[in-house]
Amino acid sequence: MSLGFIVPLGFIFFRSFTIDGVFTLEGFRSLLTSPLFVRVFWTTLEISLIASIVALAVGYPVALHISRQSERVRSLYLIMVLLPFWTSILVKSYAFTVILGDAGLINTALRALRLPQFEMIFNRFGVLAASTNFLVPFAVFPILANLLAQDPNLGKAAEVMGAGPLRIFWRITFPLSGSGVLAGFILTFVLSLGLFATPALLGGRHDMMMANLIDFYTRDTLNWNAASAIAVILLFTSAVLLLLLNRVRGTEKFA
Amino acid sequence: MNSPARKLNLGAIGKPVHWRFPLTGIMAWSAFAFLLLPSLIIIPISFGNKNQIVFPPTAFHWDLYYLFFTTSTWIAATTQSAKVALLSTAIALTLGTLAAYGIERSRLRGKQLLLVVLLSPLLIPGVVTALGLYSYFAVIGLSGSTTALVMGHTVFLCPFVIVTVSAGIKELDGSIETAASVMGAGRFKIFTAVVLPQLRPSLVSAGLFSFLMSFDELVISWFISGAQTTTLPVKMYSSVQTETSPILAAISTMLTILSVIICLGAEGARNLRKKAVAADS
Repeated sequence: MSLGFIVPLGFIFFRSFTIDGVFTLEGFRSLLTSPLFVRVFWTTLEISLIASIVALAVGYPVALHISRQSERVRSLYLIMVLLPFWTSILVKSYAFTVILGDAGLINTALRALRLPQFEMIFNRFGVLAASTNFLVPFAVFPILANLLAQDPNLGKAAEVMGAGPLRIFWRITFPLSGSGVLAGFILTFVLSLGLFATPALLGGRHDMMMANLIDFYTRDTLNWNAASAIAVILLFTSAVLLLLLNRVRGTEKFA
Repeated sequence: MNSPARKLNLGAIGKPVHWRFPLTGIMAWSAFAFLLLPSLIIIPISFGNKNQIVFPPTAFHWDLYYLFFTTSTWIAATTQSAKVALLSTAIALTLGTLAAYGIERSRLRGKQLLLVVLLSPLLIPGVVTALGLYSYFAVIGLSGSTTALVMGHTVFLCPFVIVTVSAGIKELDGSIETAASVMGAGRFKIFTAVVLPQLRPSLVSAGLFSFLMSFDELVISWFISGAQTTTLPVKMYSSVQTETSPILAAISTMLTILSVIICLGAEGARNLRKKAVAADS
């Protein structure tokens, strides 16, 4: 059964190193010298980095809040994270086009109030808003797993010794959650490297990401060699990061 | 240095930890709003004006739903998605459950490696899998067919089924299988009469979520579907930019409701398992 997955991957590797069946590194060489690819590569890294950091910043308080509820209430809160998690990314992206668009909800409201309007779609802002929205649940889960695994006696001990809640958080809870945050970061970063629908629907020409470039080479220019070479680069980057994630998970047992 | 903060707070002993700051709550609720509102805002729009998006809607009608159910291309795409989702879920559930059982109950030497290979499609960018399947199907002449879509989705679903069902198998008491074996049951009999019935809750939730994942899947379908085999997400994706009518609001609302139903169904299956465990002990 795993053949079903390995064979297609084999095809990508084969195509990325060959043109008309002849071995060549031309695909990689021309990619690395192509201004389009280099730009898209950096755009992808930039969007992924910002979106995953914002997702962690949004997700951390959620995880913290959920971790402090009783078990009954916790499962109710979890539904509020799971529901967006299981909502189609197309629905979410469409929702953002409706909210952020030029004739969208926010701009219409601003117009009604005679305030200046903003361009929030077909640019970096739109991509980041929708990507962050997609990534937050993936940031919440590893952080929550870490927070729940922490020994509650540490907090109690600190409280007995007179530490205030803020101090307990900064000196105990937060430092201990480092590995959860790191796991969340790698997970969200890898997921955003592969974003496809969001940059295509909410981004402009300058927000094309690697997945969109693969699509462009495959459909519009029929350059399978270049498309496969990008896929290999994307695969390699993700694999290295996932191995790192495995390391993080190995040191700290959770999830 | 005798400030009150430095004193031992003996009252805290024995109390459950309940240091919470209102700020965390406010931030968490803002995050929930950010997560949920976009999809929720679409719902009133879907019952609203037919030709353009007006918010808040000035009228209430079912026009957009009517439009969806009377447009043959939308119905065809929805039927296609349902067909692909049902078939690929059925195949992935069968293969995935067998693989999960095989891995959990065997002492294979390459077990860890096998597991990594089996689970890798879960985290590898979907576009990589999609491109691989696309060039593979093009070579074997299946591109654009429903068969290709079902196979592609099966590859995409299997790892998820394996993870979910493995978790269920880990909770099983292996000695029941040993007992069945002692009493003379063959391996096949043990699997069908002892293991599968106990796994029902995991199988239900794996099946439900697999269906949803396949029904909502865009990237693989975008690469390998043809004009005759367009799935609902592919049609949605290509019409977000071109469609002027807010019909997508109606479709999005229905997809959100589908997600809610499936989450509730899986939650029900989970509770069923809890009850079964409680009844056992």
